[in-house]
Amino acid sequence: MPFGLLIKLALRNLRRQMRRSILTAAAMIIGLALLVFSLALAEGSHQDWIKGGSRMASGHITIQAPDFLRTKKIRHHLDVSQTESVRRMLEDTTLTDIIEAASPRLTILGLANSPANALPVLVLGVDHRIEPFFSQLNEKVVEGRYLEEGDRLQAFVGKTLAERLRLDIGSRFVLTAQDASGEMAGQLMRVVGIFSLGLPSADQGMIHIPITTAQSWLGLEESVTSFDILLESTEAEEVAMATLGALEETDGVDVIGWRESLPELNSAVAMDNFGNYIFHGILFAIITLAIVNTVLMSVLQRVREFGVLRALGLRRREAGMMVFFEGMLLTVLSGGIGITLGIGLTWGLFRNGLDFTALMDTDFSAAGTIISPIIVPQFTAGQIIAAVLSIVTIGALSSIYPAYRATKIDVAESMKFET
Amino acid sequence: MSDKTIAVKTENLWKTYEHDGIEVHAVRDVSLTINSGEFVALAGPSGSGKTTLLNLIGTLTRSTQGKVWIAGRDVTNEPEGVLARLRLQSIGFVFQAYNLLPILTAAENAELSLLLQGMDPAERRQRVLDLFGRIGLNGLEDRKPNKLSGGQQQRVAVARAVVGEPAMVLADEPTANLDSHASDELLDVMEELNRDLGVTFVFATHDPRLMERAHRIVHIVDGAVASDEVKTVQNA
Repeated sequence: MPFGLLIKLALRNLRRQMRRSILTAAAMIIGLALLVFSLALAEGSHQDWIKGGSRMASGHITIQAPDFLRTKKIRHHLDVSQTESVRRMLEDTTLTDIIEAASPRLTILGLANSPANALPVLVLGVDHRIEPFFSQLNEKVVEGRYLEEGDRLQAFVGKTLAERLRLDIGSRFVLTAQDASGEMAGQLMRVVGIFSLGLPSADQGMIHIPITTAQSWLGLEESVTSFDILLESTEAEEVAMATLGALEETDGVDVIGWRESLPELNSAVAMDNFGNYIFHGILFAIITLAIVNTVLMSVLQRVREFGVLRALGLRRREAGMMVFFEGMLLTVLSGGIGITLGIGLTWGLFRNGLDFTALMDTDFSAAGTIISPIIVPQFTAGQIIAAVLSIVTIGALSSIYPAYRATKIDVAESMKFET
Repeated sequence: MSDKTIAVKTENLWKTYEHDGIEVHAVRDVSLTINSGEFVALAGPSGSGKTTLLNLIGTLTRSTQGKVWIAGRDVTNEPEGVLARLRLQSIGFVFQAYNLLPILTAAENAELSLLLQGMDPAERRQRVLDLFGRIGLNGLEDRKPNKLSGGQQQRVAVARAVVGEPAMVLADEPTANLDSHASDELLDVMEELNRDLGVTFVFATHDPRLMERAHRIVHIVDGAVASDEVKTVQNA
């Protein structure tokens, strides 16, 4: 059957039942627009969670010595040679374009002792020049200031921790931890600033100190426990992982993605995705049934016509193809409009973010990240491909049965069929 | 189309249906030969089996027993796909209810079989225009079927059946839905096509006017051939 004839018949048949076609197309358009909006919203919120979680923890990618992720022991640190190799690798132009910040850190679990209390803490020896671009803790100061050039014994402390240790700006306290040789080592520090992040784990137990102080305190010279890397976009992770992965072979380090280093966040994203899949599945089913109904009705009302076409020489499979094409045409046309509309409306109305402040009041945290009440929808090539594939799938699924019915029409019997 | 070529031949043809365990013989042991260029009426009352016989000849339904040859080719056991191509190239159909596709114009309906054959657009349009001129449908090419009278619709159906120059045209009660004037006009058209172009027509009918015009009348009674009468044709 010539393709032109196929298009002509499909279009005219759709036009013949204009009202029904429009209603079905409207369901498809609204459904697909909703799907695109929902995907963009989910992507936007996930990107926000991942970026926030990565920013507050060890980045999208962290380079560590083997076993450090599991033990958090200082003896599993990157030695001077590994540290230098990583530094050199980070200068690769492939990476410089996609990395927002790469922070060398010396992370250790320790104990903070004040005259009032002793509490377990996560101590991060950081480079004060890089950290503002990474954790952005300098923007969360509630008292005092962030670390600066020339600081040595200064510490930047979480608000809740400071309260529990009864520390104020200028107060002294002692950090105790196991050093590189396995001995307990203490370091006197002075509070230079207090931050409030809204993330309980950080506010209750995180301290930033100069990395040089941490290195001398723990006997690590130029070594660090990790290079934490924050990417411009999560989409760049694959390229970055592939490039940095070479270090695993050459230097025996572990290159770990956020999914592994932040398993809670990974689970939260996976759970949210699962919920979205269910919602999208229901949406798909409703749209598919609407199209099936339209195309099947169209076939059942045209039994005699199909009989005539078959009598004139149309093969069974050509009759089926005609119906299949009709369903696909309806789906693809309305689906295309739906996707365009979805992108247009999402971008046009919500490109600056969808504000849920009225519902959430303020930021809250979950799975180690801060959930912002403002979600900025994001589109990815993957989403658009997923939406287009959805259209094709819906079109194919909803057209198969009506097409099958069309192939089964008995020519002689169809002539008795009243139109 | 030579007069002596066989358009269709059946041999001991049976079509048996089963209803509630009871066998009903719609067509019984029909052996019939129709030559190219004939103008034949399969006549008989309602339920006599003439439409079923027409469907068997037209390969729209399969026989329970017996054989069918179309243009010398045994088509009895051919697969459905082959029969569809055979219908496209060798058989034209005219139905009682016209059965034009409402979404297509008169000309598009008429050229449908040529479209399915993949004929060049200009050539098929010219062929349809010529045919429309011959059968009095000039100026109606772009009308949809619902804008045509019953007689006009049936003439479009005849055009659709003959445009591909098939071995034969099978017409099931073509005048049943037409008034006497439209019937006469339609019969004039078909007679002219038979006479001038040699188109073979086989009708299933109980319309006396059509039987009067037929050159040969095969009477079907209870699914079997009761008589086969060849009339003397008087050329106009």
